[in-house]
Formats: sequence, structure tokens, C-alpha cells
Amino acid sequence: MVMVQVIVGGLLLGAIYALFSSGLTLIWGMMNFINFAHGEFVMLGMYVALLAVTWLGGGPAVFGIAAAVALCALGVVIYFSLIRHVARGPMLAQILSTFGLALLLRYSAFYIFSANFVSLPQSSLSGTINLAGIYLPVAQLVAGAVAIFLTMSLHMLLTRTTIGSKLLAVAEDRTAAMLMGIRPDRMQALAWGLSAGAAGIAGALMATAYPWSPSVGETFGLIAFVVVALGGFGSVLGSLYAGLIIGLIQAVSAFWLGAIYKDIVVYGLFVALLWFRPQGLMGKA
Amino acid sequence: MKNILSPRLGLIILTAGLLLYPLAFTGAFYRDIGVTFLLAAISASAWNIVGGYAGQVSVGHCMFFGLGAYAPLLFYNLWGWPPLAGVPAGVVLAVALAIVIGMPTFRLTGHYFSMATIAVAELIRIFTGTWTFVGAAIGLQGPATGRGWWDLTFRGELPYYYIFLAVLGVLLAVTAALERRRFGFYLRAIKASERAARSLGVPVRETKLQALALSAAFTAVAGSLYVVKTGFIDPDSGFGILVSVQMVIVAALGGAGTLFGPLIGALILIPLQTTTNSLFGGGGSGLTYILYGGIIVIIARFEPGGVLDLWHRAVPQRWRRAHAA
Amino acid sequence: MLLEATGVSKAFGAFRAVAGADLLVEEGEIVGLIGPNGAGKSTFFNCLAGETAPTTGRIVFRGEDVTHAPPERHARAGIGRTFQVPTAFEDMTVLNNVMVGAFLRHPHRNDAREHARRIVELTGLRSDQNARSLGTPGRKRLEIARVLATDPKLLLLDESLAGLTPTEMQEAIALVRRIHAMGITIVIVEHIMEVIMTLTRRLLVFNQGRVIASGSPDEVVRDDAVIEAYLGRAHRRPREN
Repeated sequence: MVMVQVIVGGLLLGAIYALFSSGLTLIWGMMNFINFAHGEFVMLGMYVALLAVTWLGGGPAVFGIAAAVALCALGVVIYFSLIRHVARGPMLAQILSTFGLALLLRYSAFYIFSANFVSLPQSSLSGTINLAGIYLPVAQLVAGAVAIFLTMSLHMLLTRTTIGSKLLAVAEDRTAAMLMGIRPDRMQALAWGLSAGAAGIAGALMATAYPWSPSVGETFGLIAFVVVALGGFGSVLGSLYAGLIIGLIQAVSAFWLGAIYKDIVVYGLFVALLWFRPQGLMGKA
Repeated sequence: MKNILSPRLGLIILTAGLLLYPLAFTGAFYRDIGVTFLLAAISASAWNIVGGYAGQVSVGHCMFFGLGAYAPLLFYNLWGWPPLAGVPAGVVLAVALAIVIGMPTFRLTGHYFSMATIAVAELIRIFTGTWTFVGAAIGLQGPATGRGWWDLTFRGELPYYYIFLAVLGVLLAVTAALERRRFGFYLRAIKASERAARSLGVPVRETKLQALALSAAFTAVAGSLYVVKTGFIDPDSGFGILVSVQMVIVAALGGAGTLFGPLIGALILIPLQTTTNSLFGGGGSGLTYILYGGIIVIIARFEPGGVLDLWHRAVPQRWRRAHAA
Repeated sequence: MLLEATGVSKAFGAFRAVAGADLLVEEGEIVGLIGPNGAGKSTFFNCLAGETAPTTGRIVFRGEDVTHAPPERHARAGIGRTFQVPTAFEDMTVLNNVMVGAFLRHPHRNDAREHARRIVELTGLRSDQNARSLGTPGRKRLEIARVLATDPKLLLLDESLAGLTPTEMQEAIALVRRIHAMGITIVIVEHIMEVIMTLTRRLLVFNQGRVIASGSPDEVVRDDAVIEAYLGRAHRRPREN
């Protein structure tokens, strides 16, 4: 019984991993670019949620939207001020740009919010629920469910809408897309907005159910790498499966080996993936 | 004539300056900065081989540093040997790790390598924190007082300064030698365009691996030097991300891919770091890293070639203007 | 037979870029590959150069099977290629660019430099010029110089003469002739008919991944299938009774 609880808990967290990782994979698929600050976007989403609750009050819907909007805007701003310029330049500039950004965001957060762990005040999502004998915090359940829904929505957006096909067109062949009247610059900015927005919402969702500090950004960033590597770079659906799997593996490792080892297992999995199957479950290398 | 003499002259002045610095500035504070500067220059120059010249950006180089730092103290704590004896072991471990990481990732695009470096570094850091054999979260300590000269526990800074300076000299000499040879050309070709390099017969994967192994070896030595001086290591000081960050920022600020770039970067950054640390007091380290993050972003966005590149672009114009008049 | 490419196919998923192409090249030839855009010439070229592994078929060079060998091995075996979009090593001088190629057969710096200098002179470039400051014709010449320095036996030229003014084109054609006179076999992909007609003795025409015609330039331009491929069915010459 405990095992089932562990598994379900892991899957629920994994759903949130899937949501923010789909943002990372979108950027990779669009422009062959790795955002080293993606974990910090999630972390910022959590703090925006906290600030929204403190200043605006209201429930999860309010701070969820606040996080989405704030991070979306941040993503677009970062694209236009930084990414656009380094994306076609030397590899050093590309990698340093978001790596430096990660440091900037992380330590600014440490400075502003301190290193203490915080959590959201009690809300309508508090309490636990008894589901067929297992006890689950309501917040975790809701967060996980919403995360899966949003990830699927992103997938639908990309594959079933006009704007989605425009995004994919730019990802496929920039020049051809331009010739068809699509503006790659705008599409890429949109992708960054979506990516950061997804991270932001994921952060807000996570904030409802788990405590955090500025240090979580680094961990989430790495988890996003692993999820994207497992799911296949560029595949949102792959991120969904992989996110759930990683959440599961992490929870089970924590249960069997101890909490300290859960991250080791996940990072070790990443290294193993690089060795044996870099294209992941569903993507192209 | 003047142009030919200038770089030579500059080099002589630099060498003389470095040699005489601790004799001119005898205070412990100044000598300490000098040692910190040298260590930063060594680490960054080591990173530079693979990150600057070959263009393979490692953001987890602390893993090599940490191995070079832990090995000597492990030898001391387990068997009572002088830490110096553990230095070769650290180098061997670092090279082995370099090969393990490089082999799968160097056949994929550059991003995979960068991601792998950060993941493996974190993996090692967390693991070291749980492994009691190497001291877990507490870390390891070196000999408090030396049993002889070979324990390298000097009272003053002076001996450390000259030992570090010698190592820097060797590293720069090796880099300079490689720069002139086929290996150096191949590294730069790989950085510029792997595809073109391959078509010309450059063994891209092997060359990258060699560069990484060499870089790892020297970084491990830097770690050993650090531990010989401070006498202490723990997972954060050995494998923490900030160790990697400093290497990268020092090299990139001065000019990644140039011989003296890391040196210049250290010359700028170490005094800067010391100043901000004292200015910002207790919250100093937090603000310092905000500054680092900001500097890295600015370098990436505006001046990826660093200070040296900026200088080379500015100087020819001034020279031309001066000589046209 | 210097190069034997037989039954080469390359499929990208369901799309067959090249479908069973053959190319046999004797030492000393200059062979041309032409065809409309998207006909599969570049993909075929990339297979010959080792950049893409063919899905089926065999490529044998001087008796060595290089079908699945990486580009480095092709270069070492003696196959050199230029790129359609010149890829100079931007931050290096012309001489240093060429030296990278020279190092393949001359591991020691001084030998490599001497060899590179000779090649730079041959191609009419300036040793100490920064690659970044070169215009398109200079870059194309640098591409050629750099690969020449690897002492290839077979040179694959990928649209190396496109985008040149008439004068530049004449110089380039003269350069290719000089290279051929040095004993290097050449396979050239080109769109510009003047180049093809004057330089090559034998032509292969690609269309939709297949070789639809081969022969001397004069024969090929009269070939019905070729005319149809380029100009459409309506332009086929009426049959003589």
C-alpha cells in the first residue's frame, strides 16, 4: 500500500516535471538551443505565486495565471534582449548566455528572498483525500492533474493549430518558413514565451504542494535536461512520458535508497542515456 | 620594429612583475591575493584548453578540480602519506573521468557535452556528500603541521606563491607549444567549424578527447594546489558549481581561446572579487555571484571574445590613425 | 578505376533523395553532375564525401571500401570536397586556414607551412589576410586551396563557381584546369552551363534521385529525358521521320 502511495506521488510530481520540461524541449526543437536557466524560470514561477498570494490574495487560479503571465513576459523579453543575438553566434556565447542568466536569477532570488524554504499559505487545496485507501494531499493531486492537462494542451497547440504549425515550420526549416511569410523571429519569441510560461505555471502548481527555496532552480534545470533527454529533444509528448517516468523513478529511489540518493539516480540515468540512447524514447538525435 | 618588440617586451614585463610581486608587496593580505590570483589563472588556463581553444564549453569543470583536491587528502587521511603523493592519482582519475564523459558526448552536438558536464559534476558533488569514505559532508583535512618539507605546510604565503607561479608557467608553456603545433590548429579548426575540419581529415573526436583529457589533468593539479594551500576540502569547495563558474568567467572575461586571456581575466576579476566581498560584507558572496552572472551574460551578449578581443579590435584602429597622420 | 559508386541510394524516412545512382570515375577525368534543384545531386555528393551514409550501395575508392566511412577517413584516403556554402575558419588567416588542410600529410609545422604557402600562391590568395575579411570569390578560392592542401587524388567541387562575376568565373575555370593538370581527378556539381560545357568531358544528369542520362556534354544536352527534366515535356524536339 505504501508502495502505491509512493508511485502515485511520484507520478503526480512527474506530471509537473513533464510540464516544465516540455517548455525546454520546445526551445530545443525550435532553435537547437539549450536554456540553462530554465530551472530558474520554474523557481521564479514559485515566487511569483507567493507574491501574488501575498499582494493580491485569491486562490490558485489567480496566482497560477499571475505566474504564467509574468514568466511568459520574461521569456519574450529575454528572447529579444539576449537570445536572438547569441543564437547564431559562437557556441561559447550561446551557452554562457543562459548559464550566466541562471546565476543572475538564482542569486538575485537568494538575495531578495533569502535561502529559507517557504511555502504557500493554507488555501482551498489544503488537506488530504482518501482515494481507494491511499492518502494524497489534495494540492498534489490537483497540481498533477492540471500539469498533465496543460502539457497535453501544449502538445495539441503545436500539432493541431495554425500557430502551432507555424512554430513547427520555423523549427523544421527557418528559410522555407520565411519564404512562406512566417516571421521566424516572432515565432521564436512566442516559443520562448510559451516555454517560460509553462515553466512558470509548473512552478506555481508545484508551490501549492511542495515547499521550496531559490536552490530548487538548479535541481529542476537538471531534471528538465534528463526528462528532455529521455523523452527526445523536441517532443512534447515525449516529455510527458519521460516526466512521469522520471518522477516515478525519483520517488521509488527515495523510498528504497533514501532521499539523498534520489537525485543521484536521476543524474546517473542522464549519463546512461547519453551513453546508450541519446535520442531518447521518441525524438531525433 | 616597435611592433615586433612590443609583445616580447610585454611578456618580459609581465614575467618580471609576477616574479617580483610578493617581494614588493610583503603584507600577508597582498600575498594572499597573489596566490588566489595565480590559482584562478591556473584553473582558468586549464579550462581554456578545451573550452576556449576547442570551443567545447564545459560548465562542470569543478569535477576535475575536486578529484585533484580530494585525492591528496585521501592519501593523507587513509595512509598518512604526504598529500603530494596523491596528486598523480588525482590527475589519473580526472583523465579517466574526462574520457568517460567525452566519448559518448563528443559524437553529438556541443550542447550535449555542456549538459553532461553540469549533470556529472552535480552527481559527483551529491555523491561525495553521502560517502563517508571521503568524509561525506564534513570533508577531509590535511596535515595541520608538516612532518617535513614534503607536506608543503608552509607558514607564510611566499613558498606557495612561487610553487603556483611555476605551475602556471608550465601550463602556459605547454599551451603555447600546442598552439603552434598541429594540435593547436586542429583545435581552432574544430571550434570554427567541425564539419569543415572533418572534411580536411581532422580526427575531430580524438582531438576533442585529447584536449579534454589535458584540460582535466591540469585542472586536477589546480585542485591539488588549492588543497595543499588550504589544507581542507569538502563537497562544495571541491565540486560546487561556483568553482566551475569562476574558471569559466575568468577565462571568458580575459579572452577564451587566447594564451593570456585567462591571466588577464584573473587580473581583473580577483581584485574585483576581493573588493566586492569586503564591500558587501556578510551578504557578500550572494552579491558577488549576482555580479558574476551579470558579467557572464554581458560577455556572452556583447563581447564573447573577452577583453583581449576588444583590445585587438580597438588597437589596430588607433595604430592606423596614428600612423596615417 | 579511381572511384566506383554503385547502386547508391539514400532515403530520409519515406523520401528517397537518391535512388540507385552509379558513378564510375577513371583517374584523370573531369566529370560533371548536373540536374534541377532537389534532384539529389548534393545528397549523392555527400555520400561520396562520407558526410552521409548511403542507405544502400557501395562506394569504393582506389580499392578501399569507404561506403560507411566518416569524412575524416575519406580525406585521408584522398577524397577532398568543397562545400556549397564556403565554410572558412573565420578567425584564422588564409595561410592558417590552408595549413589545417596541409597538416593531413605534413604533421610538422614547418613542412605544413611551406606546403600551404605554395598552395596559397597557386590559388592567388594573400597569406596574411584574415579569412573573415574575404568576399565570396575569395572564400570560394580559400575552400579550394584548403582542400588542395590535403593532397587529394579526387576533388569533389560542390558548386564552387556559383555567384561569381564573368571575370572571376574565367579565373576560377583556369584554376580548376590547373588543378586538373596537377593530376587530380575532378567531379564537379554545377548549375552554370558554361562551366560544365567547357570543363567537363563527361556528364551525369540527375533527376528525382536517379541518373537519367550520361555521356559527353554534347550528347547529354540533346537527350530527350534531360530536356524534359529541365524544360518540361513540351520542349522535347520533334522526332525526325
